Amino acid sequence: MKAIGTKYKREILVFLATVILGVVFTALNPNFLMWRTMLTIFQQMVLNGLLAVGIMFAILTGGIDLSIGCTFAIVGIAVANCCVKGMNPFLAILAGLLVGVVLGMFNGFLVTNLKLQPFIATLGTMSLYRGVAYVVTGGAPVTNVPDSFRNIFNGQLPGGIRYYVIVMIAVFVIAHIILSKTRTGDYLYAVGGNEEAAKLSGVNVAKTKYIAYIVSGACTAVAGLVMLASLGSAEATAGIGYETNAIAAAAIGGTSMAGGRGTALGTFFGALLLAVLKVGMVVINVDSFWQYVVTGLIIIAASYFEFMKGDIAAFTARHKKERSM
Amino acid sequence: MKKKVLAVLLTAAMAVSLTACGANGGSNSKDGSGSSDTQTQESDRDASDGAENSEEGENGSEDSKGQGDAGGKEFNPDKAEDAMSIEEIREKNGAEVPVEADWKLGVVMKSLSNEFWRTLQEGYEAAAEDAGLTIDIQATTDESDETGQQTMTEALTTQGVDALLMSPISDSNLTSAVESANDADVLTVNVNDGLIAEANHYVGPNAYMNGQLAAEWISNKLGDEGQVAIVVGMAKAFAARERTEGFKDWIADNNSKMEIVAEQNADWDRQKSKELANTWITQYPELKAIFCNNDDMALGVVEAVEESGSDILVVGVDGIGEAYDSIRAGKLDATVDSFPFYMAQVAVECTLRSIAGQKLPSAVATPQALIDSENVDKDAAEIINWTAPAYTK
Repeated sequence: MKAIGTKYKREILVFLATVILGVVFTALNPNFLMWRTMLTIFQQMVLNGLLAVGIMFAILTGGIDLSIGCTFAIVGIAVANCCVKGMNPFLAILAGLLVGVVLGMFNGFLVTNLKLQPFIATLGTMSLYRGVAYVVTGGAPVTNVPDSFRNIFNGQLPGGIRYYVIVMIAVFVIAHIILSKTRTGDYLYAVGGNEEAAKLSGVNVAKTKYIAYIVSGACTAVAGLVMLASLGSAEATAGIGYETNAIAAAAIGGTSMAGGRGTALGTFFGALLLAVLKVGMVVINVDSFWQYVVTGLIIIAASYFEFMKGDIAAFTARHKKERSM
Repeated sequence: MKKKVLAVLLTAAMAVSLTACGANGGSNSKDGSGSSDTQTQESDRDASDGAENSEEGENGSEDSKGQGDAGGKEFNPDKAEDAMSIEEIREKNGAEVPVEADWKLGVVMKSLSNEFWRTLQEGYEAAAEDAGLTIDIQATTDESDETGQQTMTEALTTQGVDALLMSPISDSNLTSAVESANDADVLTVNVNDGLIAEANHYVGPNAYMNGQLAAEWISNKLGDEGQVAIVVGMAKAFAARERTEGFKDWIADNNSKMEIVAEQNADWDRQKSKELANTWITQYPELKAIFCNNDDMALGVVEAVEESGSDILVVGVDGIGEAYDSIRAGKLDATVDSFPFYMAQVAVECTLRSIAGQKLPSAVATPQALIDSENVDKDAAEIINWTAPAYTK
């Protein structure tokens, strides 16, 4: 038990912060504690959660993927077009995932083969992908997506839990397994922690980075599918600015922007905290502009805590060393 | 170490107190009875008093504008005293619209990815063809390229157009471009929002009226009682402020028994407005209607309402094609259409009249109408009683 406590210290703290936030909201408006509000919170964390877990992979390798908001729009448009033209919805989903993977792969190509800095490379593709979305649609939304597609994600389990919430949890579980149980996971942390050392110890750095950006693209594609099912239409302007919230969720969950540190569970709680904040602010009827203020404060507090934790670790290590001497 | 813990605690305290302060401001509309209710009314009254005060200020600056001054920054075309409709202008100046073949008009718009602006463009093209004129139309790709739009405007002035028709991205990004156009004796016409206080004329729908029409329609449908909520667009936009204010003022001025229980920003984003509506539906089981500052957000809200299976009325503004389809499908309940196609024609007509030396008011209100299931299939020209301008060469 104690081992779990130290291993997942960060995650537990973020979860506790979420609970405290929930208690504050409940104190201000008891309605917050309804089952339906809980459902709303989980529904509203899905898009950000999926984007966050994707971008976390890119961040783990010491990179970033700013293009996710645009990939999100392209996948929505592509799948919407497939569905409207009568393609089998499951094939359309596969096509959408493929689009996400290809767009992610292109980011990987820029970062590894062309050796561009991830920030600049994905800043470029961010504009590029958005442009493609505008060009393909001519700016017009794609509408009338059939229910046969929408029901795959929108259907409900008893208790009102939507399928897309389950999809998100499944993605997080897969991400957790990749990161903690597979060699690929070890490589991702190794590349982000110290790329030179990883290379010298025989890690295929290029391949690992490709994987990170492909996972980012794929998770974004899943988010695009959920959005399409939820709205029934796709627009070229969808997802503008969503990458900032995704980065925030990952950062609050303890993902280090320098790479090498972060977990799927932490990102999950980071996204949950932001969703609690978003829904809570509406429930207590605070002007949404305050959300930005509070979100900002939370990100700053969370990263300060991260910084402090490093300090404490160094302090205790020194202390131990002194004692042993 | 102690200091650091203290710092974290202070940050947390700050965050909590912020939430708490905000909650005091917003919570009075949450429980709709007792003392907090009167609080809401009082604060509403305060707000409308404030609006009236600023209105006077705006009228003041308005007068100076009429005399050809640069005009105050507080220019509000919705409250301009000399505002006229196109019918009134035709009556006053005669039906004939003077045109000279060598007049060149320049148009600067934003975001052709938005159907509203695309339709406006079609209106300009139709007007150009009818009048036998060349119109140079330029637009930015998105609604955030403020400097790009400024560059376009300056380039058109340099190329020597007779008049500029502009729909700026913000209230300020074209200010300097308009000043240089005015210096070069180019007629400047501001079409729809944002606002350019320095422009010679404003042509566009009365956004305040948008909100009033929506409130009146909802009141009729609900028997003038029940809870309503408002989804606003980004608050820096003039249209968002005016539409919301028009809606609220109608309820206040008509002693309506409808109660506004919530008002939140959704950044003009469909997904965000849907999520907002989801939360509201769980929080306000008695919610009867939601007014949205535009159709995009209304279509998101419609999805949330459909999912919940409730029969909340949803009203948008703009009249985009998707909104019409949604009304026909029985999902969206109504939209306030500003008929951009005809707005462009009115704008061109006014511009030509002004170039020819006719005296036009500082603000021209373009046609608008509420569209619901009853008139959704009616011809737009019939709804607004449109007569094409009579161009004479």
